[in-house]
Amino acid sequence: MKALEGLDPAFEHRARLAIAVLLARHGEISFARFKQELDMTDGNLGAQLRRLEDDGYLGLRRDFVERRPVTWYALSKPGRKALDKHLAALRAVIAASVA
Amino acid sequence: MTNTEQLQQDLDYIATTVRRRDRPIGIPAIYFLWAAIIGIGFALPDFAPRYLNPFWLVCGIGGGLLSWWLAERDARQSGVNDAELGKRHGLHWGIGGIAYALTFLPLLLGQVPPQQGGAGFLFTTGLLYALAGVHLERPLLWSGLLMLAAYALLTVFALPYTWTLSGASIAVSLVVAGLCAQRARSGGTPQ
Repeated sequence: MKALEGLDPAFEHRARLAIAVLLARHGEISFARFKQELDMTDGNLGAQLRRLEDDGYLGLRRDFVERRPVTWYALSKPGRKALDKHLAALRAVIAASVA
Repeated sequence: MTNTEQLQQDLDYIATTVRRRDRPIGIPAIYFLWAAIIGIGFALPDFAPRYLNPFWLVCGIGGGLLSWWLAERDARQSGVNDAELGKRHGLHWGIGGIAYALTFLPLLLGQVPPQQGGAGFLFTTGLLYALAGVHLERPLLWSGLLMLAAYALLTVFALPYTWTLSGASIAVSLVVAGLCAQRARSGGTPQ
């Protein structure tokens, strides 16, 4: 199926796709918040975030909130572009399967 | 499981995750702050008119700055820094400021007696809060509707102490909104 070719491997894991969609919608989200929203372990979440970071889709910023270190994540420009492309491919896949 | 079924499941998971964060429930401290400011500030024209201008100069500007700081602190603590939502809030309450200035205009021009001016502010505030409830934070919808109902009562029955009663209506509505937001947060509703 040609539409499948447009899918980005970085977003094939649903947690990574959820991370990207949440960041596209809300701007900047902390590691702890992702953990709560996605109900994932530190190790698993860290691995998924690192994969997106390695692909250049995420930017991170370290900060302190009430003397505790907090890592904030935001979608980079290439990340947003890749997400848009992936979502368009997903729509095409679904449209093709319905037709 | 086919590829399409897998995709469908993944999309359901993502839709559920995103939907949980869809409706912000507000910051109780900001509601309580403005309940106090408006409750006191609106009673001043009836009971201590000479303190009116200094009160609103200090508390109006100070309350705005404190609200901004509380919102910033809440964003940092909750782990979501939504610049787009912040812009929407800024635009909504900025337009609210213009609406307040326009509500004040008939009073300034002497077209409305000062004793009756409070109801106009109640109407503007009610509309502003109800629309904020639709577009920004759901608890404000009910406080906005309560204010509009209070406006109708004050206008129809021409009650005395309109400023104080208007302020009290707004303050009660905000306390109710604050309590709802507090309950939603303590109930573990995600922000």
